[in-house]
Amino acid sequence: MNHRRLSLLRTGSTLSVTMMKSRRLALRALAATGAAAFLGSCATNAPQDTWQPKGPNAKMIDDLQQPVFAVAGIIGVIVAAAVGFAIWRYKDRGQPIPEQTHGKPALEITLTVIPALILAVVGVFTFRVIFDLARTDDTQLVINVTGQQWWWEYDYPVQNEWGITQPIISSGQLVMPVGTKVLLRETSRDVIHSYWIPALNGKRDAVPGRVHTLRLEADAPGIYAGQCTEFCGLSHANMRMEAVALSDEDFAKWVAGQQAAYQSPAEGTLAKEGESVFLNQCVRCHQVEGLQRADGTLAIAAPDENVWSGAAPNLTKLMSRNTFAGAMFDLLRDACRDDVWRADSAEFGAKYLAGVDETCLNVNDLRAWLRNAPEVKPMYANPALLADTNGKYRGMPNLGLSESDIDKLVAYLLTLK
Amino acid sequence: MAIIERPAPGIIVPALPAGAPAITPTRTFGALKRPVASTGWKSWLFTVDHKKLGLMYGATAMFFFIVGGLEAVLIRLQLAAPEGKVLNADLYNQMFTMHATTMVFLFVMPMAAGFANYFVPLQIGARDVAFPRINAFGFWCFLAGGIVINLAWFLGGAADGGWFMYAPNSGPVFSPSKGVDFWTLGLQIAGIASLTGAINLIVTVLNMRAPGMSLMKMPVFTWLITVVQFLLLFAIPVITVALFLLTFQRSFGAQFFDVAAGADPLLWQHLFWIFGHPEVYVLILPSFGIVSEVLPVFSRKPLFGYPFVVFSGAAIGFVGWGVWAHHMFASGLGPVSVAVFSVATMAIAVPTGVKIINWTLTMWGGKLVFSTAMKFSVGLIVLFTIGGLSGVTHSVAPSDTQQTDTYYIVAHFHYVLFGGAIFGLFSGFYYWWPKMFGKMLNERLGSWNFWFMVIGMNLTFGPMHILGLQGQPRRMYQWTEARAGEGFFNIAFWNLVASIGSLVLTFGILLFLINIAITARSKVRAPLDPWNARSLEWMTSSPPKEHNFDSIPHVHHLDEFFHRKYEEDPVTHTMREVATAEQILAELERNADAHIHMPSPSYWPLVLAAGLPIVALGILYSIPVAIVGGLVILYAIYGWSLEPSVAADSDYEGPSSNGHEVGATHG
Repeated sequence: MNHRRLSLLRTGSTLSVTMMKSRRLALRALAATGAAAFLGSCATNAPQDTWQPKGPNAKMIDDLQQPVFAVAGIIGVIVAAAVGFAIWRYKDRGQPIPEQTHGKPALEITLTVIPALILAVVGVFTFRVIFDLARTDDTQLVINVTGQQWWWEYDYPVQNEWGITQPIISSGQLVMPVGTKVLLRETSRDVIHSYWIPALNGKRDAVPGRVHTLRLEADAPGIYAGQCTEFCGLSHANMRMEAVALSDEDFAKWVAGQQAAYQSPAEGTLAKEGESVFLNQCVRCHQVEGLQRADGTLAIAAPDENVWSGAAPNLTKLMSRNTFAGAMFDLLRDACRDDVWRADSAEFGAKYLAGVDETCLNVNDLRAWLRNAPEVKPMYANPALLADTNGKYRGMPNLGLSESDIDKLVAYLLTLK
Repeated sequence: MAIIERPAPGIIVPALPAGAPAITPTRTFGALKRPVASTGWKSWLFTVDHKKLGLMYGATAMFFFIVGGLEAVLIRLQLAAPEGKVLNADLYNQMFTMHATTMVFLFVMPMAAGFANYFVPLQIGARDVAFPRINAFGFWCFLAGGIVINLAWFLGGAADGGWFMYAPNSGPVFSPSKGVDFWTLGLQIAGIASLTGAINLIVTVLNMRAPGMSLMKMPVFTWLITVVQFLLLFAIPVITVALFLLTFQRSFGAQFFDVAAGADPLLWQHLFWIFGHPEVYVLILPSFGIVSEVLPVFSRKPLFGYPFVVFSGAAIGFVGWGVWAHHMFASGLGPVSVAVFSVATMAIAVPTGVKIINWTLTMWGGKLVFSTAMKFSVGLIVLFTIGGLSGVTHSVAPSDTQQTDTYYIVAHFHYVLFGGAIFGLFSGFYYWWPKMFGKMLNERLGSWNFWFMVIGMNLTFGPMHILGLQGQPRRMYQWTEARAGEGFFNIAFWNLVASIGSLVLTFGILLFLINIAITARSKVRAPLDPWNARSLEWMTSSPPKEHNFDSIPHVHHLDEFFHRKYEEDPVTHTMREVATAEQILAELERNADAHIHMPSPSYWPLVLAAGLPIVALGILYSIPVAIVGGLVILYAIYGWSLEPSVAADSDYEGPSSNGHEVGATHG
């Protein structure tokens, strides 16, 4: 024999008392963590909390999932307790080797059927919610949502009953009336993105070449945070969105404001100089409806010639929204932002509709963006990497603007509301 | 091919009649003399021994485990605080893509393959696998694939599309580096390992079991490994097709996933998850098998409900094919598909639950010995249950649309894969180490190893439940305080806890590596049967001889080895020892088979596998190089085909007097 016959040096058969204690402590800690996780999200204010529904669709999901979480928690505790009991009761204390039983089929079958029945019940309720959430026949307002790297475009098709007599194109913040069954029609211009406002509904992917629908409805005026949840490349983390719910009256005001005619800044102002910088630099990609060139022709943006996705945010009413750059940055300073976010339902609409003025403008982030966009938001804007895209950018490139040009542009952008 | 003897009961039948003339050509085709070394580095490089290959799988997988673990630590360091600056967005995307790829394809799968290679033949009383050279070829393919995937780090950046590599984000426009190309080609090469391994092990299990070992007397580990091989056999071709299409899209301008050309990006998702969901069971079932071996040994009781565990394993193997679209509940499949897959997903929870119940009842009424292996197995029961239950919460499709692509899912599958698959593998390390190396891993250090891993794992992945339910999406290179919230469940605090937990976990794994080093230096030999084990792999020396068993045992029981050691008292139903392991082994040695016929080493598997990465690099850089690689492959196939299964002069070598090292005289 090539092995040496040694008596059993170690059998590992003893477990010290301290070990026992630490095991129990660990189990207790585990149970506490689990309980915390389950009780967790009740008393919190993380803006994307999935356990605080603020509309009937999200509520439907929550009503379905809470009992499932509870039952899962209870089963988890039972299993942990059974294992813990077995550890304590049957550890080797010198008892004889037990009878070599091979199982009890009746017990096995019972313990198989019980979970199957529980799941069957869950399945029935799940079925109902799945089909209820897929309904589109009760829609009151349609909004087209298009994802691209790394921002969302909102396009409101003509719907006269809402006063939308010409299409409204916006980005960053989805504005919708409260208590209204809104149907999003989602697609994408490049890769797959996913639209998710946790307080209002689960997520739905925006897939190029396909149109998917997602129901949204908010119970109360306010801002509901969301984030792209399908990995979409470099700035996936920075592709955020917000849904803004307004009362019917405020929504009507918003619609009217979005359709108001363009007003060029007064001659001789810094903003007027900014308009010409915009015409030189920005209008290649960014549309401002009604903006005219010096010769009186309408300036038409051509993002399809410059950007791979073929689109760039429409800036016509930029200062009517609170965010820019795919909702990565706020247009409002922190104090002004908090004022809007924390406003109660009655005051919220007026505060939101006030838009952004010079005193509230988050000028630092806006200037940093204009100075060198790819530095503050990772994008494929490196000219060296454009071989595969026929020279088209993915995201906003560094335009090399001078500080004085940036002064002028900021002044001009403040007039877009 | 190996010709393994299977003597009928009571009769010793040599492979060929003694004295028969050699029917194989004495010269082999090729430039090199046929390797025959059984010691030294050549014995490893050209080996076809399932045990050596098992160890090679294990060692390589352990290396990749460390690589993937360091990638994970970098991810957690980046996310410890808001606006993390450790990695930039590009590097972060590469990091999480490669962390998952490495852990799934280069650690858990090959580590399980290593255990399967080493222990399936031993557990069924065979001398090797059915196709030893193909077995060697599989290992080299895995190694080549792992190298190709990781080569991208040094050649312009690794793959950055996530391990799911969704189209069209994986296309040449959206991922302009060559990382995805290395990834697709590397995985295709590594996939050959899984596919050949699957065929090999299925044939081995179906044809080469010891006499008397009916399928329902087969150890559960071997059973579940067999289920896994069937999953691989049908799943790997699907992913290979998908990878092949993607390679053609990226390298040769094909348009399979190009939306502008009319493609539907959901095609990739279906292909990926038709592979990807069975893959989940490929990752977990081997560990279920290990636990199903370890728990009975340390409970001193047979596995409770053996047929239930076997059939629930097979049921998982079937139902596992019908749940792939639960990864796509938010993809826009439409309510009918979502409802069907939602219910199918709930259904698969039942056979999984059966296993948890059986393990718990195995411990019930036992005589529990808490070795480190046992601790990891018990840890698996509890941790996997947590992961399984969070899995049930997102089998409810509407609930899943809130949870998918958030950290809740990250928490879920780490409880399943770390608390499940990896704890199972660690249980296997501690349980089988004395069998593989003839030395015991230090039990005291093992206990520290276990506790640091349990605490570290719960600190790391437990908070992720909270993060996900609080709405933190996955795959974000940074998170912002603006979305963190306040109060006890704020995202900032729990991200920090998770990051600290990852360091605790790392320390736990470091203790394991230290334990390996200490054990390697130790001179203390392990006892023959250190755990009072139950199955055939313990009914031979540690480590086993090259031919595994001096005489192939005849099997009468499930847990054959245990029933040779113990007999039941007919009155009290207690077990009393009737033979020691040493006595049983001596008995087998006395009855040693007269002729043992083992396959000879070969260098063709290595040459053939070496051709594949050459083709891959050629596709990426220069087609003539690919042609050279193709010629290497053709040459290797030709040489392999003409090579006899054994070197002529090693035929009919009986066991040496101490039963050790057949073929050692040919060094």
